[in-house]
Amino acid sequence: MGLKKSGGTSEMGHSKTLAPALRDLWHVIAASQEVPMGGRRVTTLFDTGLTVSRNERLRVARNDDGTLLPVIERYGCIWTSFGSPSADLFPILEYGESDRRNIIAGSIGVNVSAPRAIENFLDMGHFPYVHTDILGAEPHTEVKEYDVEISFERDEILATRCRFFQPKAALTATEGQDVDYIYRVPHPYCSVLYKSCPTDESRLDVIAIFCQPMTEETIRAHLMLSMIDADNTDAGIRRFQQTIFGQDRPILENQYPKRLPLDPRAETPIRADKSAIAYRRWLSQKGVNYGVIPQQLS
Amino acid sequence: MVTLYDFELSANCYSVRLMLSILGVHYETVSVDIYPGSDNRSEWFGKLNPEGTLPVLVDGGYIISDANPCLIHLAGKYDDTDRWHPIQDWMVYPLMLGWFDFARRLTASAGVARTGVAFGWNADLPALQAEAHRLLRRLDEHLWFGEKQGRDWLVAGEHPTIADIAVFPDVVLSEEGGVSRQDYPAVRRWLDRVRRIPGFVVMSGVFPAAPERSTVPLDLRRS
Amino acid sequence: MGLGVAELRQAAWYPVASSDDLPFRHVYHGQLLGQELAIWRADDGYVNIWENRCLHRGVRLSIGINDGAELKCQYHGWRYANRTAGCTYIPAHPADAPARRITNRTYPVKERFGLVWAALSADAPEMDVAEAGFALRPMPVNALPEMVLSALVARGEAVTQLPPLGAALVLAGAPGRATYFVQPVDSARAVIRGVLDAEPDVDTLMAFNAVLARLRDAVEAEARAIELPDPIVPRYEPVSVELATMPDRVIGRQATVRVMVRRRWQAALDVTGIELAPLSGHLPTFQPGAHIDLHLPNGLVRQYSITNGPGDLTGYTIAVKREAGSRGGSAAIAETLREGDVLAVSEPRNNFPLRRDAVRTTFIAGGIGLTPLLSMARALQRQGLAFDFHAFARSAEHLPLGPELEALGDRVSRHFGLGPPETAEAIRQVLGAHSFARHVYICGPGPMLELARGIASELGWPDEAVHYEYFKNTHEIDTSSSFTVELARSALSLTVPAGRSILEVMRENGIEAPSSCEQGACGTCLTRVLEGEIDHQDVYLNGTEKAAGNVMMTCVSRAKSARLVLDI
Repeated sequence: MGLKKSGGTSEMGHSKTLAPALRDLWHVIAASQEVPMGGRRVTTLFDTGLTVSRNERLRVARNDDGTLLPVIERYGCIWTSFGSPSADLFPILEYGESDRRNIIAGSIGVNVSAPRAIENFLDMGHFPYVHTDILGAEPHTEVKEYDVEISFERDEILATRCRFFQPKAALTATEGQDVDYIYRVPHPYCSVLYKSCPTDESRLDVIAIFCQPMTEETIRAHLMLSMIDADNTDAGIRRFQQTIFGQDRPILENQYPKRLPLDPRAETPIRADKSAIAYRRWLSQKGVNYGVIPQQLS
Repeated sequence: MVTLYDFELSANCYSVRLMLSILGVHYETVSVDIYPGSDNRSEWFGKLNPEGTLPVLVDGGYIISDANPCLIHLAGKYDDTDRWHPIQDWMVYPLMLGWFDFARRLTASAGVARTGVAFGWNADLPALQAEAHRLLRRLDEHLWFGEKQGRDWLVAGEHPTIADIAVFPDVVLSEEGGVSRQDYPAVRRWLDRVRRIPGFVVMSGVFPAAPERSTVPLDLRRS
Repeated sequence: MGLGVAELRQAAWYPVASSDDLPFRHVYHGQLLGQELAIWRADDGYVNIWENRCLHRGVRLSIGINDGAELKCQYHGWRYANRTAGCTYIPAHPADAPARRITNRTYPVKERFGLVWAALSADAPEMDVAEAGFALRPMPVNALPEMVLSALVARGEAVTQLPPLGAALVLAGAPGRATYFVQPVDSARAVIRGVLDAEPDVDTLMAFNAVLARLRDAVEAEARAIELPDPIVPRYEPVSVELATMPDRVIGRQATVRVMVRRRWQAALDVTGIELAPLSGHLPTFQPGAHIDLHLPNGLVRQYSITNGPGDLTGYTIAVKREAGSRGGSAAIAETLREGDVLAVSEPRNNFPLRRDAVRTTFIAGGIGLTPLLSMARALQRQGLAFDFHAFARSAEHLPLGPELEALGDRVSRHFGLGPPETAEAIRQVLGAHSFARHVYICGPGPMLELARGIASELGWPDEAVHYEYFKNTHEIDTSSSFTVELARSALSLTVPAGRSILEVMRENGIEAPSSCEQGACGTCLTRVLEGEIDHQDVYLNGTEKAAGNVMMTCVSRAKSARLVLDI
């Protein structure tokens, strides 16, 4: 598949082939609610124009030659692939639990590469500075030790024992406390976060980000929530998640270079960035070549 | 009781939230899910504002729609000093109306570019961005000469007016629509000044400015 | 056509802002030849021109906060010092000093003719002496820089070219002669920066602005008709290998900096204040709590804490107490050091890092022990974080750096002439019961330190909330043991006999190991221990750290077991 050079900053030549690790994957192209029965939506994936339509069945076609592409609907979103994808998408078991509310909080366009958005999603150190008084507050800035592993069996990154001090962890809380998080990266452009649920200690709320790489440096981020929450309205939950993501957006759009550099010497990691380091290494190992600046072999 | 029908990511709602906060008015918020919910097209919202636009302010039975009328209402009712809305000053007041018009054109260019990028709504981005740059060039020139003439705000006087609050949101959020402010240094300085107004609040996409004065100066060298 | 990008890149000075563009606490977003710049003026007047990118995650520093002494990144709150752009604090790891030398890229800077000038290369030639001037309103133009210069020259009379991209001329329609410098922002973007000799009135400024705006419109129309070059691809220099890895704790390194005694004064009874200035430029970045090794003319090396506030790098101020039983260090300073003397100091080393994630920080200073705490308190004050400062001294005359302390205002309490019981009572009052996210920092004479630590412990303060620094280790060091040391990474096995320290034996065998006080007080020789039981004899580690048994001070501590395995 030929891909356009994206702007003047491409260092990968005039055309390139999508790495097999990306070609044979499912990629999100729309929220299901954006394509109702009888509806049609034009969108972009990997610089390629696509049309999604829903009549008797859901169809995805390339705009250049009309070729039909495979399609599935999972987690409130529509997914397609340019290659031979596996039968199903990565699992999010909680999504199927009958007492959960599954909500798409929005699909938001951002001028950034997909891997930069994923790395930000994995990051806790910015909570007091970017999500001030919501997910964190100065002076409580410490990122405590946590564990990261790359699971070869499931081909995903798992960060566990993550904790961060939150000033008002729940509506009922008067004093701050540590909130527990688990992060999964089951797809180069998707991440799933599990967070202790304020109303039921034994359960976890799920927040996922599915990035649709429209070009190397522009995405649509589809935000999915699967919550145990009887108190808030859908509008309230969406507002909360849009507020959080809206706070991340100016950071993402002010990151340079926009594509994620995979060379370990491009930026300065600290211990708190263990999950980001694992993520960059994992992308390198998979040969991911879209939305990244690959490590130069010398 | 003051109630604001509000959408967090809306620049126009933000200007009303700003004014409420600066004037210290206590209010309640009703979230209207414009995106993706399209609640503003719903029957219940149509009864409040048939145009389907936000913000809507309900204050003691009065219903006021759209940002600029809301600002005029708030300043008129809650600012006893009349500095935010100097209606009695025939030199200043017409200039203020001119800036309201400017704010509307900015919303129609920079603002539409921003929501176009964010929500995937149809928008002719290059044309919108070009118009936004044209407006920002004008704004920068106005503010640069203002600084030379001892005027910190959009219209004359020691004090900001609701014109500053009307124009501020679409300027401070312009980069989300792909409109860089790098070429407008006087605009960037004015953004700092607005962000230092007592009672200023941020929204998603807006960072606070550095505090104006620290409690102590940097330790000056002993000669 | 005119100059190509390659020639423009030559080490030349270009204007990048007007001086007026840098008001109090502002960060200006600039660009030169495709390279984005964050430009800001500190409260001491110094103009910083840095690459517009935080080294951590690439976020533009032009959206950060200028606090007057440091620039704070908006993303993770990393702080970079005025002048050096060295990182002084990483909030995600409040207990650690960012010991690795994380330093942003800086560019040479000059202020001339009311403009701020930058050069992309350090090889830029010196500029002439300062000349006054008044900058016109800058006029950004979306066109090739050389097109803009050509248009100026074509519309000008009495032209004097000022390479690489300037000309003095009388522009048609303008109210007089002016000098115009074209700032090459990018391959197809420029800013015209005009300068007048005398201060103009507003009408004159407006007339120039109108002429330049017409010229801009004409050149932009011209530029729209041609195919414009791609933007210049900015260069992002890789960070050093050392910074790209993630060591747990990094040990400082020996390095010397030559400094001159700029000022020497009586800072209290028996205390000499010394200000050490760089021979040129500014001094290396330090963090609050850091010390330097001062190499004295008589060959002695002594450690002194830096008392400066953040971003203050034009001279380190230290205070030296004349000790009755001086081994030559403080006596040498008191008696022989003169203003104008040149000395060598080490780069600052921080073994007493300040956490800034406390709800309230308490400082307890005994006499000369206030020096590191003063630097810490200044940093917290600058950041607007809560603290209280308790200075203990025999009398007001014995209190060092009184005027500097005065600037901290009513957060300072002074306790004079107290005997041991009264001191204990005062400390008890100051500490109170421990509560969440409170931290105390103690520095002073050994007995007072022991007393304060004991009281903190009684009051339920956990070890990790009690931070202290001894001037010296007054314990008798027991060197009677002998044992074997294995250096895991060097694959070396050494025998340490009675009467010798691990550090000495390692050095004799060619192992380079940093050290400073060599009496177990400063923390510089901290080494990780992989196996074996440690015989701790230092005063640097706290009880919890000693009990954990995975780090030691090789200058005084030894082995209880027959064998130690060190991570060296």
